[in-house]
Amino acid sequence: MSNLLETKDLTVTFGGLNANDHVDIEVTQGSFVGLIGPNGAGKTTFIDAITGFVPTSAGSAIFNGHDLSELKPHERAQLGLVRTFQSLELFEDLSVRDNLLVAAHPTSWYTLLLDVLRMRQSNDEIEKRIEWALEVAGLTGLEEELPTDLPHGQRKLVGVARALAAQPNLVLLDEPAAGLDTAESNALGGHLRGLLDHDVTVFLIDHDMGLVLSVCDYIYVMDFGKIIAAGTPEEVRTNPEVVAAYLGEEAGEAQARSAEELRGMSDTAGE
Amino acid sequence: MELLFGLFAGLASGSVFALLGAGLVIAYRGSGVINFAHGSVAAYAAFTWDELRDMPGPTGIGNEGGSIYLPWFDPIPEWGFLKALHINNLPVEIHIMTDPPAWLAMIITLMMSAFIGLLMHFLVFRPLRNSPMLAKVVGSVGIMLYLQAVALLNFGNSNRADDGFWVFNSTSEPITNFIGMDKNLPRSTPYLAVAALIIGFGAWALYRYTRFGLATRAADENEKGATLLGYSPQFLAGLNWVISSVLAGLAGVIFLHKTMPNQLNLYVVSALAAALVGSLTSIPGAIAGGLGLGAFASMGVSATSYEWWPDWLPVDGVRAFAPVLVVILVLYFRGHKLPIRGTVGLGRQPRAPATKHPVVGVGVGVVIALVMSNIFISKWESTLTMTLVAILAMLSLVVLLGFLGQISLVQWTLAGISSFVLIRLASDGVKVRPMDFFVVTGPGWPDPLAALGGVVAAVLLGLLIGIPALRIRGVQLAVVTLASIVAIEDLLMRNRPVMGTAAHTMNPTPKPEWFGQYVGALDENSNQTDYWKFTLFAIIVTALAGLFVVNLRRGVTGRRFLAIRSNERAAAAAGVNVARTKMLGFGVSSFLAGLAGVLIAYKMPMVTSEFFSPFVGLAMIAFVYLGGITTVWGAVLGGMLVGGGLLSEFGSLHFEGITQAYINAVGGIGLIVNAILTSGEGISLLVTNQAKALVASMRGTDTQENHADEIVSTEKESV
Repeated sequence: MSNLLETKDLTVTFGGLNANDHVDIEVTQGSFVGLIGPNGAGKTTFIDAITGFVPTSAGSAIFNGHDLSELKPHERAQLGLVRTFQSLELFEDLSVRDNLLVAAHPTSWYTLLLDVLRMRQSNDEIEKRIEWALEVAGLTGLEEELPTDLPHGQRKLVGVARALAAQPNLVLLDEPAAGLDTAESNALGGHLRGLLDHDVTVFLIDHDMGLVLSVCDYIYVMDFGKIIAAGTPEEVRTNPEVVAAYLGEEAGEAQARSAEELRGMSDTAGE
Repeated sequence: MELLFGLFAGLASGSVFALLGAGLVIAYRGSGVINFAHGSVAAYAAFTWDELRDMPGPTGIGNEGGSIYLPWFDPIPEWGFLKALHINNLPVEIHIMTDPPAWLAMIITLMMSAFIGLLMHFLVFRPLRNSPMLAKVVGSVGIMLYLQAVALLNFGNSNRADDGFWVFNSTSEPITNFIGMDKNLPRSTPYLAVAALIIGFGAWALYRYTRFGLATRAADENEKGATLLGYSPQFLAGLNWVISSVLAGLAGVIFLHKTMPNQLNLYVVSALAAALVGSLTSIPGAIAGGLGLGAFASMGVSATSYEWWPDWLPVDGVRAFAPVLVVILVLYFRGHKLPIRGTVGLGRQPRAPATKHPVVGVGVGVVIALVMSNIFISKWESTLTMTLVAILAMLSLVVLLGFLGQISLVQWTLAGISSFVLIRLASDGVKVRPMDFFVVTGPGWPDPLAALGGVVAAVLLGLLIGIPALRIRGVQLAVVTLASIVAIEDLLMRNRPVMGTAAHTMNPTPKPEWFGQYVGALDENSNQTDYWKFTLFAIIVTALAGLFVVNLRRGVTGRRFLAIRSNERAAAAAGVNVARTKMLGFGVSSFLAGLAGVLIAYKMPMVTSEFFSPFVGLAMIAFVYLGGITTVWGAVLGGMLVGGGLLSEFGSLHFEGITQAYINAVGGIGLIVNAILTSGEGISLLVTNQAKALVASMRGTDTQENHADEIVSTEKESV
């Protein structure tokens, strides 16, 4: 398996603060990778940096053989590097279906001409992709609703569906489960696992530790902009530094109890 | 030496830019609104002062004086029996005293300014406080249009000169041999500069050292925080509107001896540049920016007297271009660094539903137009074609403002450029009519080609103006485009070396022939401008343009436009090339405006730059908003309502007193009401919604549920 995304020494500086500090992350094709860390650790900044929404000050990011540094956000999206947002960022005046269509339709210099002459620009492949995206996000039947009429959790899923409609190779999900209850969160986890069968690699940020630990193959842990640990869910769960970062206690003292707690959380999620 | 003298001479106009700029800063800090009507407040105050002091201008217009006119007009025109009854529906004129002393006139004038400030706060900006930025811009543009029109209604012709008062007059001996430069400086110039500095310092001190100033600055930083500390942000906003308006009135009055009141309307462009130099927050910055801008523009004007100065850069063009340059530079270098940024959700944008059954609709429209045309009824020809021109111009606004959400105020001026370039390209130095006095020289292109040249010129200029939109957005773009209007008018349209005599003389378009068919409105036999082939041509062009816009909205492009209007950040994340799509929008919109220009060139017996004045353009925006900025039907309705359109002409034929100014004043009010009540969706969507609700209630279904939905959505909005 080759690396789909690979960052080396990726650094993002805000003022004097390194929001991302020499971050090395590798995402192999067809894997399900998670990134966890306490609030303010720099997780969203990392997604912003590789999708071109904040400038990087050092380091490199290679996606599918392309150096990303010179590419604009939409060019990265067109390469198949597609993200969702923590803060919704939907097209609020467009129906759910139109939200997806914006991402799904390719454009060329003669698109306007096709529009004006009423030539059909959708094809079966696009239609199928949209249906599939709606199904993964559990939004089937809500196509004609406006995002503003949906509850917060579902709005978040519109963002996920829109990312999937853009035909991604790698989808970067920024807290898709925030606002969902445990059952919904589990259902989403199951659907997301299913993406791997559609050749979509997934990179997931979430606070729902149960979700992350249960669906990811490999997990990175970030704190203060640095990667402090990485490994399989089992390894991360028992890593004392991770426990310390999350619970803010002396790593040695509370390690056993905290590890137990984390395990408990994932067990609950698994039930 | 010329330049140094230019610098000093420019301090006079610089002082008024400075004071107006300071007023803009105060209003902005107090309420977060950039007030496009600020110059119009100054103009209304100047008119009031002039009327009180009874100084009839060179045309001798003006009554016995000593009266004030409240900033509104009698809304019910004097029709039929009402006229016989002499009913005054609304008091407008109040006679104070004949020949009031200057100090009293000054107090009354400043009170009038304060009153206008209060009205603006309570009737417009307070209701709009939680509306999207677009609605606030539209609201202030509506006030600008309204005040300008009401001044025209109440004070009549604006050609009045005022000699001024006290040290601010044009009658004192000039300062001869000013600091040894062998040139005469008007004596009022140093007084104006000193006045600007003193008033500016006073305003700065007020906000720096008083409790009120502290509270305003607190509310500016954090409105919620200020509320928690016990200050009412809305009370502060109202007070700031009063101070801002009084400053505008003061600026208008002390500068009146140098200009005519009506000119003050567009001083807002330079004032905006000055306020931007102060980052919209610093009064000293705005004062310095205003004085600097005045000096800079005046130095540019002085430079035109040098021999090396190129002919194609006229004096007026340089003066008008200076503020544009400052605005663009400031916004470019101080605007937000990253091009893509989420917009804060302030209320929702007007909906933009796709038009259903456009072919049927356009078909019906075409049939009605044909019936009204000269082919059947001769009376309405000119009005009909004016309506079609307006519809075309408004379609360009629907695409750019309605779909793409880019607040550009310049599109009507682009139509003008198209007209002028067409005439210039089609001319060949031969008289069109025997009666024409001047001839226009040019390459004499045959017509479809010349028309294409005009449209291409409009598109290229539109794209050029669109470039700043890649970096700046919303209200800032409105500022840039407003400044561009004035610059384009003076730099291009009235530019004799570029436009030839087309820039000054009034000639019809030569040979408007498309493939052997004459399509001009000028009937060579009767010398009337109602030739039926032009009407047919205009109907076809407008119908095709309407279908074009409908299909654009229904297609991939329209969806992407709406996506960008909604959220640029998300659009980029979804793989939309925001920059290219925006440029496409500017291009398409300018293309439609260019087509409108072509129709105007064929329609008018003469084309002048007055026809493309900024206020006509703002009226177009006002009426398309009223009709519905997001739909093709909105453009059709707006085209009929605007002055010269079918509905307004019908009104003025049947009711005395419905003049262009009356219609613009009503349009300004309509614009404001529309922005407040329907979040800018306009009449067309209002009617559609009501019709839908009616149908639903007749079927007896869902009405309850719909009602419940509405309540929920209003609740959401109020949250």
